[in-house]
Amino acid sequence: MRTRRIILTAVTLVLAVVGLAPIVVMFARSLIVDGGLSLECYRKLLTTERSWQLLGNSLGLALLTALLSTLVGLPLGLLLGKTDLPFRRVFIILFALPLVIPPYITAVSWANVLGPRGFAAGLWGEPAAQVMARLLFGLPGCVMVLVSTFMPAVLLATLSFMRTVNPRLEEAARLSARPGRVLWGITIPLIRPGILLIATLVFLLALGEFGVPTFLRYNVFAVESFAQFSAFYNFGAAAAAAVPLALLTFVVLGIEWFVLREKTQALRPTPESGGTVVVELGRHRGWLFGLVSVLCALMVVAPLLSLLVQAGSPGAYLRALHAVRDSLLRSLLLAAIGATGLTVLGFFVGYLIHTRALQIWRAVDAGTVLLFALPSTVIGVGLIALWNRPSTNFIYATPLMILLGYLAQYTALTSRVTVAGLALVPASMEEAAASAGAGWTRRIGLIVLPLAKQALLSGWLIAYIFCLRDTGITMLVYPPGYDTLPVRIFTLMANGAPDLIGAACVLMIATTVLPLVGIALVVRSQGRRAWQ
Amino acid sequence: MNKSIIATVTAATGLVVAVIVAFLGCSSKEQGVVIYVSEDQVFSEPILRDFERDTGIRVMAVYDTEEAKSTGVMNRLLAEKNNPQADVYWANEPIRAEVLKQQGIAAAYRSPSAEGIPAYFKDPQGYWTGFSARARVLIVNQTVPDKPKSITSYSDPASKDRIVIANPLFGTTTTQIAALFMLWGDEKAKAFLADMKRNNVKIATSNGESADFVAAGQFAFALVDSDDAANRMKQGKPVELIYPDQGDNELGCFIVPNAVVLINGSRHPEAARKLVDYLLSRETERKLSLSDAAQIPLHEGVDSPATVRKIETIKTMKTDYAAVARKMQEIEPLLKQWVGY
Repeated sequence: MRTRRIILTAVTLVLAVVGLAPIVVMFARSLIVDGGLSLECYRKLLTTERSWQLLGNSLGLALLTALLSTLVGLPLGLLLGKTDLPFRRVFIILFALPLVIPPYITAVSWANVLGPRGFAAGLWGEPAAQVMARLLFGLPGCVMVLVSTFMPAVLLATLSFMRTVNPRLEEAARLSARPGRVLWGITIPLIRPGILLIATLVFLLALGEFGVPTFLRYNVFAVESFAQFSAFYNFGAAAAAAVPLALLTFVVLGIEWFVLREKTQALRPTPESGGTVVVELGRHRGWLFGLVSVLCALMVVAPLLSLLVQAGSPGAYLRALHAVRDSLLRSLLLAAIGATGLTVLGFFVGYLIHTRALQIWRAVDAGTVLLFALPSTVIGVGLIALWNRPSTNFIYATPLMILLGYLAQYTALTSRVTVAGLALVPASMEEAAASAGAGWTRRIGLIVLPLAKQALLSGWLIAYIFCLRDTGITMLVYPPGYDTLPVRIFTLMANGAPDLIGAACVLMIATTVLPLVGIALVVRSQGRRAWQ
Repeated sequence: MNKSIIATVTAATGLVVAVIVAFLGCSSKEQGVVIYVSEDQVFSEPILRDFERDTGIRVMAVYDTEEAKSTGVMNRLLAEKNNPQADVYWANEPIRAEVLKQQGIAAAYRSPSAEGIPAYFKDPQGYWTGFSARARVLIVNQTVPDKPKSITSYSDPASKDRIVIANPLFGTTTTQIAALFMLWGDEKAKAFLADMKRNNVKIATSNGESADFVAAGQFAFALVDSDDAANRMKQGKPVELIYPDQGDNELGCFIVPNAVVLINGSRHPEAARKLVDYLLSRETERKLSLSDAAQIPLHEGVDSPATVRKIETIKTMKTDYAAVARKMQEIEPLLKQWVGY
């Protein structure tokens, strides 16, 4: 018990130093003006009309993104997971693609289609292109890009939560009701807490998103915070601009905690669940297939195709590979190390939350989620303020800064996945081992880790994707000569050749997707072998 | 089972530690030179690669992004004032270099390569030196019947609803507005801003966007950097490039040179001076004029393409960049108010 306490306390301290200390430093800076204590930054924030406009923009973007992602993702998930629609697996893979692509690359690809020099301009002429460009560069464009990015999260969550529904309930209902009524009356109400939870996550992700609104020139607090630091060098205003986001995050977390937490914990596969009742679409199969195909073509295929067309010849890929090779390798290495570190830290944090071993488990859980939802630029600026001093130059001047940024922002991902994985491990197994005299480290090594390894692998993959696509933190803290691929694409965008940028974006997508496909194939073949 | 888990964990930990140690070992202590760059990466990187090839000194760079309004690395230099990481700063305009001088971040260095560059493009004490310049020009849509010849066309009532300008809170537009405040005095400059507003000037996010608006025929003209205009002409857009205010009693064209700064407390001073010399050389100016940046060499007689005008053929606006830098900070609240920030 003592070992457990020491290790979990140490993990909590690590999290506090890595994640919370930079935020505290940022907040403290916002309270100091001209060397004295002052609330001037906050007074300005509350009294200027622009702040309220930014708040409206941030809230509007996050709400619309969450709402539309749910309105599209939920029915699509039901259609792909519960019906006999043709090519369901292909659709699932295609729709999930934007989730693993950095959102600003999706924005770039949409600009290729609808921008002033896009394909639409060539197809429908300049006046129509101007209207579309006006829509793209603003709220509608931001919502569209973020919905195509985050909708797959709702879709995948719907597929996953549907597996927790006991099929006997649906079968019983089918005796007296039509399939649509069963979905509406049984399935959706049962998975509603999970869907609301994922919609909340989408809301928070859209609220803190910086790359897409910046690229599409839509002012929100996350962009304001970055501009206050990068363009005006105003640490205080940068931190103050992040406070409304932090408060909103707290409110949303509070709602999630009190309204959804217990209900979502009930969403676990039971011995009866796992099978699923398939709804036959009958005469609706054709037009629904057409509708899903069109949606897929518009949301996924068209923008990706635009990048391929923009890249053009194979020569562009060779030039891009030559230009970004070092950054690409660094990205892979940093993402792999970051994901590994996050998996380790996330495991212990998740274990602490699951077992409630320390009294501050709730604060630790809220802290990680808050850090996840905060704009990455705030964490990046906080890291600079904290570590940029001669005594800590051995950290500041190295890629460790990027890794610290990853640990600060993304621990919630791996800790939450761990919590979900540990929930499936019967507590009796660890208790039995403890009764037999096994120490804590032994129980962790021999029982908990092997039983939770699927969750740890999932956590590693999710962390890998988020580390690989990170721009906000990396752009601010990367040491000289150590840029990553997303940062390099960002810097190349200023007057870079369009074919080179297109090819670099395609390489970025391939870098993210190919390892996932490889791992999926390995896992699948192992699963098949185990079954045999 | 226990042994295999311990072995795996040990191996993984060892690998992670080895990689981190390798990273740690090869970054800050590595021999080379660290440069922070505000000039677009696509133009600056080939020059830095050439320097590596010619001298064998490794260059480690941090580049700016459009999203940071090209001030991200300068602000990083300010943040690192007491713990400098950079040896050299390549600014894409002298005002940022001047700010670094005023903040005590720049070190004085008179490069032998700077000989031949006109004195008003250099800091008198040697804290920064200008090279390869852009001009602030008017990009005009070809369909416009009466082509503007002066930036004062922005205040002409005939220009109402037909004009666009990049956000004056950022980049070269801020610099030029501050220069106008210096040249005209506060009253006339404020009246100019008020006239622009009365003419419903559209505020674009960047010079590139302004140029796109004009190229698409949405606006008649815009004040942009010469590389933005040259770029649109190269793309075959229906636009013209006009050097404004070239008449006898007129202001002249505002010139924005790049500027190179040696950083105070540089960790690699010798390599840093070599890099400064290299950037200020006639050869670097020649390369930048031949590239898509189409920048104007400041040394006389440097080979440049026909599309890039020689500096001696342009009537330039005489500018005290140090005074402009101070003015810029002074008028920031006014500009914020003007933009509605």
